Amino acid sequence: MTDAAVTVTAPAPALARLKTGLRWRALAAASLPQIAFFVFLALSWEGMARWLHSPLVPDIATIAREFLLICKNGFVLQEIGATFVRMSLGFLVALVVAFPIGIASALSRTAARFFEPGIILGLTVPGLVWALLCVIWFGVSLASPVISVALGVLPSLVISVQHGVNSLSVEVIEMSRVFRLHRTAVLRRIWVPWLYAFMISGCRVGFSLAWKVIVLVEIFGMSNGVGYQLNAQFSTQNVEGVIAWTLAFWLTMILIERGVFRPLEKHANRWKKGSSHE
Amino acid sequence: MSSDITVSDLKKTFAGGARRARSNAPLFDGLSLSITAGELVALVGPSGCGKSTMLNLVAGLDRPDRGEIRFDHGQADIDLSVVFQQPRLLDWLTVEDNIRVVFERDGKKKGNAAHITHDLLARVGLTEHAHTYPQFLSGGQRQRVAIARAFAISPDILLLDEPFSALDELTARRLRLLLQDLWLGEGHRPTGILVTHNMLEAAFLADRIYVLSGRPATFSSIIDVDLPRPRSLDDPVLFDVHRRIMQALT
Repeated sequence: MTDAAVTVTAPAPALARLKTGLRWRALAAASLPQIAFFVFLALSWEGMARWLHSPLVPDIATIAREFLLICKNGFVLQEIGATFVRMSLGFLVALVVAFPIGIASALSRTAARFFEPGIILGLTVPGLVWALLCVIWFGVSLASPVISVALGVLPSLVISVQHGVNSLSVEVIEMSRVFRLHRTAVLRRIWVPWLYAFMISGCRVGFSLAWKVIVLVEIFGMSNGVGYQLNAQFSTQNVEGVIAWTLAFWLTMILIERGVFRPLEKHANRWKKGSSHE
Repeated sequence: MSSDITVSDLKKTFAGGARRARSNAPLFDGLSLSITAGELVALVGPSGCGKSTMLNLVAGLDRPDRGEIRFDHGQADIDLSVVFQQPRLLDWLTVEDNIRVVFERDGKKKGNAAHITHDLLARVGLTEHAHTYPQFLSGGQRQRVAIARAFAISPDILLLDEPFSALDELTARRLRLLLQDLWLGEGHRPTGILVTHNMLEAAFLADRIYVLSGRPATFSSIIDVDLPRPRSLDDPVLFDVHRRIMQALT
């Protein structure tokens, strides 16, 4: 009651100030721990570099110089862009294939049994093997990274879809049958929103797996991309180069997490109670 | 138009499962029941006697081993609604969309979905929650949405499967009155079957109460409730009916 009275009678500028203050506080609460992590990491690294005094552990200034060098003329963006296009294409192919397989496995026990050995194979085989095989088969073409990423990511996405389909309650399906909802309504109003909410976290894991595969393909069989650059720096024993490229990719992934996955997750879960926290 | 419901010579057996010991005895064997269009009947009886199974059979969610369930029109032309024990809402749709979704039906015209939804939301007192997601509502409010959804298609047949048993008594009491209002407010009252464990609820809502018992289940008693509508929950006659049901059950 008192709060309501204060809100109603407070002059507009005071209210605005209060709102701005709250927003700043929320922003600080969200970003300070992360900034603290970066500071902690940088300090530890610097301490280690000074203590070891070895060219194998370059200090922060050297890494920063190297980082600026690769950022020159947007070179780093160009290379990360190339890697991302390959990764995303492979990921999309996996997603498109995962839906029918996952849905079939969820709905039919025979289909589940049929696909199970394949899924286990996919989960067992390291990304390195897909990378090597695809480079051998498809050479230096777009097919190599796309197919190996798709193969690497597919099993976890299939499992995600399968769990998503299975976790929709039978009661909801019965409801749709009793009310004789049209097939498109069942798809549009039930399956798509349900799987959308369920798949976001699956996609996030899948995307990080995709990165682990793409780097390998680029090391073995590509003439550009982050993986190629990492390998190039490695072969010239340029430790700060390897670190700078890793750093660049890490920052990009943070941006994607914040700019793509978080908002998508928030949107997909907006109907869930208690989903409003960050 | 509301429709007669004729259940004839019904047989249903559940094989295996947890009830293995009793699995050979059918739940029903030769059970018949006839409900006139616009009537509301209640099925009461001990747990496991087959009340909900009967409702599932009428709803078409299950098939009988023998016998048939007939309506005035074919099954495909019947507008049938169910209010379940749990609201069974689509949590990712807003309250309004949860009601509107039932207009997207097989082979049916959409009708004036927006107008009907708006009107129903007002009648169940949820206009201000039209754009809220169900998880942010109380249990009673969610069941109100389920009731509004059931009436949205102006059903020929309305099945009520323990619709208030998951709610506290005060909320349940309000919703029983709301249900009576909506049912009486329909141009053609849907033919209703209510399954309940609450004998007072049965007495309040039903025209006739069928007491199911035994295995295979038979109607051990049929009690007519000859009271004008709208009824009051505190009508002393209801307590008399309640006593008769309890006598039939024990």
